Amino acid sequence: MNGARRGVQGAARRALVWADAGMNRLYGWRHNPIYHSGALATALLLVLIVTGIYLLIFYRIGSPYASMARIDAQVWAGRWIRTLHRYAADAALLAAAVHALRMFAQNKSWGPRVLAWVSGLFLVFFFFVCGWTGYVLVWDTQALVLARAGARLLDVLPLFSEPLGRTFVGERPLPDAFFFINLFLHAALPIGVGLLLWMHVARVARPALLPPRALTRGVTGLLLAASVLWPVGLAPEAELFRLPAVAPYDFFYAFWLPAAAAVPVGAVWAAFAATVLGLLLVPRLTRPRAAVPAPSVVDERACTGCEQCYHDCPYEAISMVPRSDQRTTLVARVDPALCVSCGICAGSCAPMVVGPPGRSGRAQLEGVRARLAERRPGPRDVVLIGCTRAAAREVDEAAPSLRGAVIRHPVSCVGSLHTAVIEQYLRAGAAGVLVVSCPERDCWNREGAKWARQRMAGEREAELKERVDRRRVHLVYAAEAEGAALRAELDAFRRRLAVLGLASAADDVDLRALCDRAEAAG
Amino acid sequence: MSRPARLARGALVAAAVTLGTAALSRLPYDAAPGDDALLRLSWRARGEQVRECRRLSAAELEAQPVHMRRTEVCEARSLPYHLRVRLDGRAVLDDTLYAGGARGDRPIYVFREVPLPAGAHRLQVEFVRRDGEQPPARNAGVGAAADAAAVPRHADATPARLALDTVLRLDADQIVLLTYDADRRALVARGAAAPPPAP
Repeated sequence: MNGARRGVQGAARRALVWADAGMNRLYGWRHNPIYHSGALATALLLVLIVTGIYLLIFYRIGSPYASMARIDAQVWAGRWIRTLHRYAADAALLAAAVHALRMFAQNKSWGPRVLAWVSGLFLVFFFFVCGWTGYVLVWDTQALVLARAGARLLDVLPLFSEPLGRTFVGERPLPDAFFFINLFLHAALPIGVGLLLWMHVARVARPALLPPRALTRGVTGLLLAASVLWPVGLAPEAELFRLPAVAPYDFFYAFWLPAAAAVPVGAVWAAFAATVLGLLLVPRLTRPRAAVPAPSVVDERACTGCEQCYHDCPYEAISMVPRSDQRTTLVARVDPALCVSCGICAGSCAPMVVGPPGRSGRAQLEGVRARLAERRPGPRDVVLIGCTRAAAREVDEAAPSLRGAVIRHPVSCVGSLHTAVIEQYLRAGAAGVLVVSCPERDCWNREGAKWARQRMAGEREAELKERVDRRRVHLVYAAEAEGAALRAELDAFRRRLAVLGLASAADDVDLRALCDRAEAAG
Repeated sequence: MSRPARLARGALVAAAVTLGTAALSRLPYDAAPGDDALLRLSWRARGEQVRECRRLSAAELEAQPVHMRRTEVCEARSLPYHLRVRLDGRAVLDDTLYAGGARGDRPIYVFREVPLPAGAHRLQVEFVRRDGEQPPARNAGVGAAADAAAVPRHADATPARLALDTVLRLDADQIVLLTYDADRRALVARGAAAPPPAP
């Protein structure tokens, strides 16, 4: 079971890494649509609401097909708006599926992320039901096929004394109430989607609900162009006394239809139940069997109450609470139930008093000292501090010739890197420090890459000190599978360092004491 | 890769994904493969109701709260019907149908589908009330002092026996609905062409 899970997850991860690298090459990491898949689904939901309002104005529950035909006859508006509504619904579901696959592949569904995973599943389910009701509203052959398929599934449940399937046999006219209920659900479910979306992002700070404008415009523009150039058109009207020989169907919302029609209803429900159960169990199945990384802890005696870790935590796991001693400032406190042990608080804390055990700023400096005791960098050596999930690992693996000149310093996330570590390496005589980060939108810990950039640029607290020679420090974004790009960056960086001349060691400074003094003065 | 080449490739991939999405949005689905037609039986039958009453024993009354102590409890249920369908002399349906609802007091809903090849077919349908039969879930537990009695018939109650013997001519993909016409108090076929003339 565990092996199968790892196999599936590994395959998904490899596919994702490959796709990410391809999209980064084409659109750059800022506009990689896979990175923004979740936000794209939200943006497309807005497109659906806007186009849906237009359609709602012209739709008549008393004459559903005729009103849809009238909308379709509006060549300058109705036809492409209806098509855009359809395409946006398809694209939203596709984006949501990619987002879910991404979270699964990156193992981001367990622990404090369970709420986001489960609410995400409900979001997709709501999307499905909403799409289903939308197709039935048109009342063409596709609608009849879907309506009968739905009735067939529901009629085996002990919910209705009268079989729903009898509604569509022509024994009596189809009641307006049927279309009213569908329209009500179709319009009301998006409200539920909104509530679920709020729940989906409730446990993250500063959720990115919308993608960059350029990407939103690009995606919407493409769908709009497709709507104008290739409108969906209307299938023939539903006929209750004729079998719909060939009906169009939307793969995204009815992919299950051909298979479901060929097997007994019980098998359909069993497959559905197994799928739902499997998806709900993903957080449990993907939870690491080994020891889960310990949550961050705060040394309350040394905490200055600056609130920077509170602001930087991407999961709102840190709160500022009154102290138990006589001091009037607040003190940071970590909620272990919300902490995912990303370590970003360690990078945010100038006095180095917060972070996961063994990964706080102080622990990081001690680690550097131990490394330096083993091997001091030469004046031409570059220290490569890289996120273990970025491409940093590939440099060593793919370019053995560089090993002699590159010292690797892996970190769990560049956002957890204390800038004093960079300074320490330079003071030890390294020619330069290359910090390798995942692209900002691909950060496994949401905001680690962004905070690292700002700290290194001196724009965020716990910044890289001004005394550090910026020419010898370089930040590069390279996702997994972008080793070639990273090697090119490394070569260019080494050439720039060569121009600067040999570095010299200046490690007679106790950085920890320096930081403490600076904090006390601040 | 040069910038123009990258932009061109990017545009090409984006266009391909968009067109793929649009194409998947309108796949053809053969919902009824072959040239078959369909016979659909669908009607609602409210048959004879039987009310069963029994007197509660002293122990049972004692077990009830004071405000709920009734000496006699009654339940009404509809009698089941037997449905038999023969197509060209061959039995295609032979089933006993019971009233719906947890208490068996709801109407009987007939809803069956019989695929059949296009063409002319002789159809014989019988829908007969089974007066002596108890619903399977309600055979036991009526009590020693049970006293069954027929409830007065409703005006719209389904007759004890309905039958139809006709010839249908169906085109490919045609659906014929066999239903109960409450006004004529008879089974009727809707959506079918007129039967072929007798040889």
